[in-house]
Amino acid sequence: MTTVPAEASAPPAPPPTSRPDPEKPKRRRFPWAPLALLTPALIMLAVFIGWPLVQLVIMSFQKFGRAQIFGAPPEFIGIDNYVAVLTDPEFWAVLGRSVALCVVSVVATMLLGVAIAVMMTKLGAVMRTAVSVSLLLAWAMPALTATIVWGWIFDTQYGLVNWVLTQVTGQNWVGHSWLIDPASFYAVAAIIITWGAIPFVAFSTYAALSQVPDEVLEAASLDGAGGFARFRLIVFPYLRSILLVLLVLQIIWDLRVFAQIYALQSIGGVRAETNTIGVYIYSVSMASGDLGAGGAISVVLVVILLAISGYWIRTMLKEES
Amino acid sequence: MKKTLGAVALIGASALVLAGCAGSSDNGGSSSEEGAEIRVWLVGTDTPQDARDYLKKTFEDENPGSTLVIEEQQWTGLVDKLTTSLSSNDSPDIVEMGNTQAPAFTSSGALLSLADIEGDLGGDDLLPGFVEAGSWDGTLYAAPYYSGARVVFYNTAMYEQAGVAVPTTLDEYVSNGVALAGALPGVSGVYFPGKDWYNALPFIWENGGEIAVQDGDEWDAQLSSDESLAGLAQVQELMTKASLAPKDGDETEGWVPFRTEQSATYSAPSWAYWSIVADEDKQPTAVADTTGYYALPGMDGGAAQVFAGGSNVGIAAKSKNPDLAKSALEIMLSDEYQTILAENGLVPALVSLGDKVAAATPELATVIAEAAANAKLTPASPNWADVEAQGIMQDLFVNIANGGDIKELATAADEQIESILNG
Repeated sequence: MTTVPAEASAPPAPPPTSRPDPEKPKRRRFPWAPLALLTPALIMLAVFIGWPLVQLVIMSFQKFGRAQIFGAPPEFIGIDNYVAVLTDPEFWAVLGRSVALCVVSVVATMLLGVAIAVMMTKLGAVMRTAVSVSLLLAWAMPALTATIVWGWIFDTQYGLVNWVLTQVTGQNWVGHSWLIDPASFYAVAAIIITWGAIPFVAFSTYAALSQVPDEVLEAASLDGAGGFARFRLIVFPYLRSILLVLLVLQIIWDLRVFAQIYALQSIGGVRAETNTIGVYIYSVSMASGDLGAGGAISVVLVVILLAISGYWIRTMLKEES
Repeated sequence: MKKTLGAVALIGASALVLAGCAGSSDNGGSSSEEGAEIRVWLVGTDTPQDARDYLKKTFEDENPGSTLVIEEQQWTGLVDKLTTSLSSNDSPDIVEMGNTQAPAFTSSGALLSLADIEGDLGGDDLLPGFVEAGSWDGTLYAAPYYSGARVVFYNTAMYEQAGVAVPTTLDEYVSNGVALAGALPGVSGVYFPGKDWYNALPFIWENGGEIAVQDGDEWDAQLSSDESLAGLAQVQELMTKASLAPKDGDETEGWVPFRTEQSATYSAPSWAYWSIVADEDKQPTAVADTTGYYALPGMDGGAAQVFAGGSNVGIAAKSKNPDLAKSALEIMLSDEYQTILAENGLVPALVSLGDKVAAATPELATVIAEAAANAKLTPASPNWADVEAQGIMQDLFVNIANGGDIKELATAADEQIESILNG
């Protein structure tokens, strides 16, 4: 199975060059080969992403409740769902919270991820392997499982954190709930999200770091540049494009985070005060059975995410050209 | 450009390969009735193992070649899960749901009509309140499964040590709880986690309040009425002064602190008795000889109005084998199966088996009967399941447990409940 994509990943062969015919003007042949190669991907995208997306958009203009889920014909109601969603203060509160959580998690993930990558270049072989394996394990752990385990760590009665705090401070922390206060809930959520996202950033950055030519760094250090100056002036420009991609991906992932928040809410906390946009969409669509309104919120989120990624991709392409 | 094309081609190729893998493994799910597999969703650990074994064995004996698989679900998030799974092509055949959640599914066409087999299931012998919860427009879609009356369990040794007696009024229940917590450090006088809203309802009802009342076509939420507020104040006193349970914890496995002697009083469905006196390995627990029980006392003595928890069970409209599913459902409502439930402390779905309840402990049977006689339900609206699914009642009591302002919280909850019920 792994060999097939490897073969396919070779760039498509250049179109067979027919003998240059000096008499006729050059006519470009229709690029059949790339099209043929594209078709499978396009079909998969259309079936698994395109069609549901179309349905979602249609649904967002319909009154689509639990009866419709089970077969009753839906009724078109124009932009009513959008008006209801955009005038609902709860939607804006949820969106604000999601953005705040996203900013904190992304900043923490990027800083720690890059720091760990730099550290890995300085480590000896044994320690580097140990760090790599630990990162890989964290990356391989499903978000849901990780959240349950973190939930035990922060457990009100039997949690590790409360026990350690009791031992260290001498005060009684047992019974302290880490999830009941929304700010503290989000702090725990941010830790879990960051913990799960760091390995990807660290590995990607580490790979990019190995592309930085040693001779340039050597020349710089001969010119008297210190460690930090070398990183800022030489390493960082080499990493720039990959860091941009990572940043966009992290923003998208963290903005629509679902599993961690949903699982934490089932452990503790006040649901209404800790919903983020992903959980909110699920709650509106599934728990309340209002797929119309849920669809409208989803479309709004898609637009926001497209705007973010569109902006970054444009910036990136400009820089590359 | 060429690189981009190459990358897209790679995605396409790998997608095809992956699709190939997925396709080859997906050849189950035959639609014939012969030799089919019936999937039964039971929720929580409420259904005893004996009953599960009986169901599987009886079904497979009666329908040679077919198998029955029981898949255990969680109460948390059940409405969401049923909404997604009952509408999917991979729907289970038989589903259990909470009686207060049933209207969301009976009213939406998610379940198969049981009108043709209602007589075989028990007919007039079925628990009337649960038939009502499982019917829509006069047609039965979800049959009663069992009911569980709420009973108060207490640690007789701890009551003696703290010098309190079994309370005779609700006020005394509250003051006893606080006294117990004061006399026994590190022990909950009453174990009362914040999300346990079922146990909070009697306080509202006994003080003369309601969750919501129907006024013509409109629902009028009543949590912020003076009567309800008096009840909520009692709940807050218990949660903050008598209970060491997590303020945002839920009631699942509440018997663990009770049987490990970390709480003196514990109100739960009657079948919790078996989890209190024996642990997971069937070994007797520390409280096996010191567990007493009483029905929650009302405002003026007698038994309080408690929440009539329980389950309904229906057949998915999308079930591929409706006839087999019906024969399995008939087993679940047979005298033999329901007797097993009754002997394990559940109130059976068949009224005629009522005297079989928890025959192991006759005193407990009396207490259960006392509590069941005064049981009460949540507002009878198909939208009530949405109030539960959004966790509005849980959020309310978590905030109350955390010492919030009762009037403010109740007013906000009323607004939300009205907007959902009238939505």
